Amino acid sequence: MDAYIYLSATPEALIASMLSPEEFGAYLSMGTKKRNRGQAIFFEVDPQQISGLIDGDYIRKRCTAKPDGRPKSSVYLSVYRVLEAIPVSALRSLYLTTDNGYTLELRQAPYGADREQKERLHLYQELLPVTPLVASGLGPPAFLKKLTDGSIPIVLPKLFFVDLKMGELAANPLRGSAEHLPYSNIGHLRDCLEILKTEDQKQMKTVRRYFSGSLLYRTIGLGFFVGSGDNLVFYPYPNMKELESIHYDFFRSI
Amino acid sequence: MISLPGASPFEVLAIWCVLVIAFFGLAYAMLLRRQVMACDKGSAKMQEVWNGIRSGADAYLKRQLRTIIPLILVFTVVLFFSVYVVPPTAESRLRFEGYSDQSLKLIIGAGRAVAFIMGSVFSLMVGQFGMRMAVQANVRVASASGRSFTEALKIAYRAGTVTGMLTDGLGLLGGTLIFIIFGVASPDTLLGFGFGGTLLALFMRVGGGIYTKAADVGADLVGKVEAGLPEDDERNAAVVADLVGDNVGDCAGMAADIFESYEVTIVSTLILGVVLFTQTHELSWIIFPLLVRGIGVLSSIIGTYLVRGGRQGKNHNALKSINKGFYSSAAISVFSFGLISYFYLNDWRSFFSVVAGILLAIVLDEITKRFTDGRFRPVKDIARSSRTGSATLILKGLSYGFEVTVWQTLVIAITIFLSILIYHGQPVVYVLYGVAMTGIGMLTLTGNNVAMDAFGPIADNANGIGELSHLDKDARKIMDSLDATGNTTKAITKGVAIGSAVIAAVALFGSFITDVSKVQIQMGIEQSAQLIETGIRISVPVVFIGLLIGGTIPFLFSSLTINAVTRAASQIVEEVRRQFRIPGIIERKVKPDYQRAVDICTVSAQRELVPLALISVLSPIIIGSLLGVEALGGFLAGVILSGQLLAVFMADAGGAWDNAKKTIEDGLYGGKGSEAHHAAVVGDTVGDPLKDTAGPALNPMIKVINLVSLLAAPVIMTFRKPGHLSAGLVITGVICLVLVIGAIAYSKRSSETKPVREI
Repeated sequence: MDAYIYLSATPEALIASMLSPEEFGAYLSMGTKKRNRGQAIFFEVDPQQISGLIDGDYIRKRCTAKPDGRPKSSVYLSVYRVLEAIPVSALRSLYLTTDNGYTLELRQAPYGADREQKERLHLYQELLPVTPLVASGLGPPAFLKKLTDGSIPIVLPKLFFVDLKMGELAANPLRGSAEHLPYSNIGHLRDCLEILKTEDQKQMKTVRRYFSGSLLYRTIGLGFFVGSGDNLVFYPYPNMKELESIHYDFFRSI
Repeated sequence: MISLPGASPFEVLAIWCVLVIAFFGLAYAMLLRRQVMACDKGSAKMQEVWNGIRSGADAYLKRQLRTIIPLILVFTVVLFFSVYVVPPTAESRLRFEGYSDQSLKLIIGAGRAVAFIMGSVFSLMVGQFGMRMAVQANVRVASASGRSFTEALKIAYRAGTVTGMLTDGLGLLGGTLIFIIFGVASPDTLLGFGFGGTLLALFMRVGGGIYTKAADVGADLVGKVEAGLPEDDERNAAVVADLVGDNVGDCAGMAADIFESYEVTIVSTLILGVVLFTQTHELSWIIFPLLVRGIGVLSSIIGTYLVRGGRQGKNHNALKSINKGFYSSAAISVFSFGLISYFYLNDWRSFFSVVAGILLAIVLDEITKRFTDGRFRPVKDIARSSRTGSATLILKGLSYGFEVTVWQTLVIAITIFLSILIYHGQPVVYVLYGVAMTGIGMLTLTGNNVAMDAFGPIADNANGIGELSHLDKDARKIMDSLDATGNTTKAITKGVAIGSAVIAAVALFGSFITDVSKVQIQMGIEQSAQLIETGIRISVPVVFIGLLIGGTIPFLFSSLTINAVTRAASQIVEEVRRQFRIPGIIERKVKPDYQRAVDICTVSAQRELVPLALISVLSPIIIGSLLGVEALGGFLAGVILSGQLLAVFMADAGGAWDNAKKTIEDGLYGGKGSEAHHAAVVGDTVGDPLKDTAGPALNPMIKVINLVSLLAAPVIMTFRKPGHLSAGLVITGVICLVLVIGAIAYSKRSSETKPVREI
């Protein structure tokens, strides 16, 4: 099969395409005749590992070049509860595309506990299957486990989320400087963090119920996480210096 | 040929040397041009993009020429015949002793008309050649950035220097030539030279300002804000117009603006110098300013040639190198002025006035930087206020814009006070001469200043070409760095341009008082009633009325220019939206029709030229005719004061909003796409026409009004005896008033946005 299989997070969908990840990102963010506009976040999926979940014949039939030779951009295969159906092991690289079409590839890397600083709070933007912005005292692995292992009433089959920068608020919610944080309603964020800091039982606090659909790529902290229970896959996010020196086009457009 | 009574051999030699230096400056410009033109123009793709910019620039320049030439012809005729209304001055009779009255009128009339044409053509040449050079250079800079940072910087700066040296060389050439031919009679003709340069600068500034911001605002509003495309994206139909606009506004407009300040300061200095010469019989009042200008050209040549990039390719290296060239020129100039003052003048007063001008330029630059540079508190505060939305961001920018205006005006006031101290105990004409010499000092390094300014659009365009032709990452990093340096140098030169415009206007104001007094002497008005003795008395009701009306003119002018930008930008927005709807453009399969946007900007920019020129030229005639010459003096004071305040306010508030947006785009408060960024984009969009259209257009407007007043005052005095109204003048004033009202109505009538034709 010549087609790539992508799992889009914005919105959740499994898509077959003849476009390479960079082309597909540009297509999702702005390259349609409908003049879509907006950033795109998607995984490349190993087709072999999900062969039982998708109809190969349908893809072969639909995902073919157009009469004028142009490649087929997208064939939607599924649009609901997709992440939970895809094995984590089938996920390859994660791609982030800016709203003007520049794509950054993030590769998987082992997550070491040394990445976390003790006594610091976290801010997680959940991306799939639900999308609240959540503050938490838990590190990414613990946070994932908490929400997916069934130990609390709210349980998700899998979770894809991103760790966001919090600067001084991570250690000092009330007095820490929020000078360079772009989040709206900082006062509310401080309140949420303070509750986590002062109430021992409280491990998570919803800051905002909905995701606006646009992630500020400059605010990404450690990176992206996906999985369930103890099965965590980590996509580290380069720091700004690395982005500038290695991924210059992407850096310029964020 | 030189006819200067009492000139020493050194002084005659000095004048000829200044003339040679003027040609030397022009030769240096030609040498640099040849060096730039010999550089590689890059790949076919780069040249394709560049050809779009070049043809857009050509179309604009040609159309502008067609609009301007009839007006030049009309004013040439008016200036020629003006001498038949007001007879030549006593100095002219002295210079052309032995000629009959008719011959003298013919000589002075022709001299004034030819000087006007020369001033216009020189100003046009500076703008047009400068802009063409910038367009030729940008593709070469883009190509060189693929090889080395040093080469790219050198080409960009040297191409900018071509414009700088044209400004220097032609400004010096015109003034010196007129002085060589007319000697002490030169004030009669210098006014024509100054008026020509200033009127053309007004056209270039207004046209350039409207063009550049219509394209920029239009391109950004649809491309960046609506469609989320990056800067200089090939799918944006206004991208080429935007690139052309950078040249039209920042290169042609700015160069012509500084050229006219350069011209006007020498015109006013020579007028005042001749007055002092007739009183003291010392030629140094006239020779010294010309020598200062000559030294300035030489030091600019040395300083600009020293500009070379470091090996690292970093922004600060480019700035460091440019600053090194600037300060080298400044040091050479001050040292040489000192030598001349010591060996020739034996008097340090003029030296101190010139040095005060150089210091004024540095202090104004520093204040501008403090309020508009992202490293300092005001811009940081404005950026921070974006977190609470665009309203607070705009309010913060307004607040700092008002504040910086206070400091800049105080510094200019202190500089004028320095002239009073330097010439303490002397009559007022010495103080006015000191102010004029301060202007000469400020513009000593015009070559460097214009080079720094023209460097901006060249680097900006090179970056655009790099983006559109998909150059590799390293080349674009170099161009980004040069572009950032260009933004800084452009901001610096804007401060100098405004400051020098005010000083030049004050010097012209001085010339107005001395010229009016001269005519009053010819008319036999007793000394105690002459303007030089009475001053402009704002306690006299008609003078106060003149002051009030003068204060409103910059507001009217700004209103019309901003309106023109809004109208043209709306048309661009509609056009870009229309083209986005064409299948294939967003997918990069169909090329947009860039020429349409270029045409819209070109037509919109030219449409406003005539009404705005009429307002500038006719408003002093209305006041002078209906209220008298002293009221005209009050009118001038009002124009200078409110024009200066508005110009500084608009330039600096706009610059601060622009840099607040850039600070956020560099990563502050979430960077691009954040709510803070959206607020900052609104602030920048509001500030754009202020800082690049309305504000800069006020510089030449103030001086056009000054020069028209200088030319009209003798005519008005001839026909308007004190205490009596002349029917002819009243009719003239009413006709001019009707024309001005018509010009305003025309400008406002065309504000209805015409629907864009669908394909």
